[in-house]
Amino acid sequence: MTGSPDTAPLLLAEGMHKRYGGVHALRGARLSVRPAEVHALMGENGSGKSTMLRILSGQLQPDAGSISFAGRPTSFRTPTDALRQGIATVTQETTLAPDLSIAENIFLGHRMARRAGLVDWETTRTRARAAIERLGLDLDPSLPVRRLRPDRKQMVEIARALSIDARVLILDEPTSSLTDDEVESLFNVVRTLRDDGVSTIFVSHRLDEVFELADRISVLRDGHSVGESTTAELSRTSLIHMMVGRALEEETKAEGDRASTTTHPRPVLRVRGLTAPGMFAGVDLDVGAGEIVGLAGLVGAGRSELLETIFGLRSPSEGTVEVDGDGRTLRSPRHAIRNRIGFVPADRKTEGLVLGMSVRENLVMATTSRVPRLAYPRPAREAAIVNDAMTSLRIRAHSPGVPVSTLSGGNQQKVVLAKWLASGPKVLMLDEPTRGVDVGAKAEIYRLLVAVARDGVGVLISSSETPELCLLCDRIAVMFRGRIVAWLSREDATEARIAHIAGGHQ
Amino acid sequence: MTDPTNIDRRRQRVLDHAAGAWSASSRYAAVLILLVSIFVVLSLTQENFFTRPNLENLLTSVSILFVVSIGMTFVVLTAGIDLSVGSTLALMGILLSHLLNDFGLPAWLAVLGTLVAGALLGGMVNGVLIGKVGLSFFVVTLGTLSLYQGVVNIWSGTETTYITSSLIDWFGFGKVIGIPAPIWIMVATYVIAFSVLRWTYFGRDVYAVGGNIEAARLSGINVARTLIFVYAISGLAAALGGVIQAGRLGAASPLVGTSIPLDAAAAVLLGGTSFLGGVGGVTGTAVGVLFIGTLQNGLSIAGVSSFWQQVVTGVILIVAVAIDRLQQNPSGRRLRRFGRGTRSRAGVDGRE
Repeated sequence: MTGSPDTAPLLLAEGMHKRYGGVHALRGARLSVRPAEVHALMGENGSGKSTMLRILSGQLQPDAGSISFAGRPTSFRTPTDALRQGIATVTQETTLAPDLSIAENIFLGHRMARRAGLVDWETTRTRARAAIERLGLDLDPSLPVRRLRPDRKQMVEIARALSIDARVLILDEPTSSLTDDEVESLFNVVRTLRDDGVSTIFVSHRLDEVFELADRISVLRDGHSVGESTTAELSRTSLIHMMVGRALEEETKAEGDRASTTTHPRPVLRVRGLTAPGMFAGVDLDVGAGEIVGLAGLVGAGRSELLETIFGLRSPSEGTVEVDGDGRTLRSPRHAIRNRIGFVPADRKTEGLVLGMSVRENLVMATTSRVPRLAYPRPAREAAIVNDAMTSLRIRAHSPGVPVSTLSGGNQQKVVLAKWLASGPKVLMLDEPTRGVDVGAKAEIYRLLVAVARDGVGVLISSSETPELCLLCDRIAVMFRGRIVAWLSREDATEARIAHIAGGHQ
Repeated sequence: MTDPTNIDRRRQRVLDHAAGAWSASSRYAAVLILLVSIFVVLSLTQENFFTRPNLENLLTSVSILFVVSIGMTFVVLTAGIDLSVGSTLALMGILLSHLLNDFGLPAWLAVLGTLVAGALLGGMVNGVLIGKVGLSFFVVTLGTLSLYQGVVNIWSGTETTYITSSLIDWFGFGKVIGIPAPIWIMVATYVIAFSVLRWTYFGRDVYAVGGNIEAARLSGINVARTLIFVYAISGLAAALGGVIQAGRLGAASPLVGTSIPLDAAAAVLLGGTSFLGGVGGVTGTAVGVLFIGTLQNGLSIAGVSSFWQQVVTGVILIVAVAIDRLQQNPSGRRLRRFGRGTRSRAGVDGRE
């Protein structure tokens, strides 16, 4: 299947097995990375991608299997060991020290230039500048990292990885928090590195990016390797087929499912002149019953802050929020919930779920804010909510009593959704509802949102993934620097147009 | 015929429950085994150990620490610590003596007033500053530790005040069905705390706030109120400890309680409650306190200096927490070095 079989792999992992307790995460998986290539590692959540990456970066030891690097058998005992051998990892969460300078971060770990036992700042800065320039960037190495854009922070991490002469760079979902421009600049860096002879292992849930950037693709499913191919030989459909193991419409054809919305549905959420200094200003927004409204814009355009303010997490300096004709300032999330607003936050792990608590307890959590605190949680009442949620959303869990942390990402996201649906909302707001969710679960979430709207709930979705907004929404508001700069109807909304407006061009 | 799915469901529930109970107890299993071993060894080697008077003495002597530690458990479950419990305990003793001697209140009313004052002090000062204003629990309770100690010394003139009241005596030496009152109070405290944590929404809020404060807030849980109540419970427990202390001494002394905060924290952690919050419970704390008490009692019977008890408790505390971490997450050490917590290991299971 592969193009030129004569190219010897730079990094080869074969017959990898890893068990966590009862879970067999890797079952003889294989990954072969050639010199100077961008290699995408694909698979649904739970397919063993992360386990494979953690083994290659020395965070985990495999139970069985062999690794060879540059032709020699080896193993990576610790992250430091992997790094020393030339494998550097840049993870989703940045691991930079925000108050230290770029130069200090690049050479963190006693690797700054020294003279007479003291740090030689001048040489350190010169070297840092060289490391940044290698990535085709021009940044002042003495800037504190805190002041950098998210993509630039990632670049600093990459520069740090490369300053140790890495030959393989592992990028685990590097683009999930970047805007289109930032993604492009990151990709340029990866391509520059490839031309320099550095290989990149790249993980992303966004298929477009994979097809744009990767030279070759390996697919894992249930811990097995199910395919390895050059990108040119694969189509999107065949890739998805390999990942999920069955033919699947990539996205729900929501159009067919949805009756075209009435022209003027009764507004359930009405926002007027909402302003929070430094975040957003003069926002007017209506969401009708049964309507799905999208909120597009770059990261930092004020979308998340707007949703949080409507939900009562932040207080606005001006403006009103009305739920179902009842105008009042929502002082707190509790108050918002009582006014029947639901909010699915962007980060399910830090905001959406209490990971250590059971699926059951998470599911009923948003329904109990009115209950006296010394009351006994009645099992029958909870069982009803839980059964309903688990069957209608098809949440895959061993039992409702297991900790929600044991579920896969897609199922966790379904728990967050179910938790809000159980609270009986009139308005459901979602911030990045499919971030870090695999294609199969994505389609289910889309279907669900469409069904929720059909039941008369007003849905407000903020997303960086323009295609999903175009697919789902009746209307889309585009935000730029804290203001809504355009409203697009379903017919007018195209990805290109939204990207154009979101970038500040009218 | 019974519906088979129903049986399956019931069986599943029983299994879940058993699994939950087992892994909850596994958080303090090591300490429990040690406790039992020490107990057996002492019973076999020290003829005075396994006798009714000595066991009563053992339990009464840990009763104050026990009650305070149960209150502290609530705080630790929310990822906090209450350093002020010792000086609260002393202050409540002084307050009790003043209510009795200066205000001439009937004893029952004085006790009630003291308990209410302890809860108010914990809730309205520590709780409001931490839960509502959002200050760090460490700073606030370190501050009130010093503040209350100062008030104790000023108010008492550093002198011990004698208390003569049959009710207060009862708290120290009374007997119900032949068993000393402090033991009954311990049992009652444990039962109430266990029930609240396990069978109320408030108990769930405590775990949710400790497990993920942001998610709790976004789910409509009143985080501020939960924290205020948690510190109120800690203050109430300290006040109850102060009443028992006054009963046992027959006096209110400004010198009591100084070692309580750290002993209580040690007992809670020995009992498997994670100082990161969200995991643990009062059963473990009970085991932790009994462990410290048995060690103390056994060593003193064996004629070993009580300083050794401190050494042993310290070593066991560190070893127990280390074993727990290694068991739950063998690579915990490595993750730590990379600046990540090991929170995710915490299961539902580590709960009441």
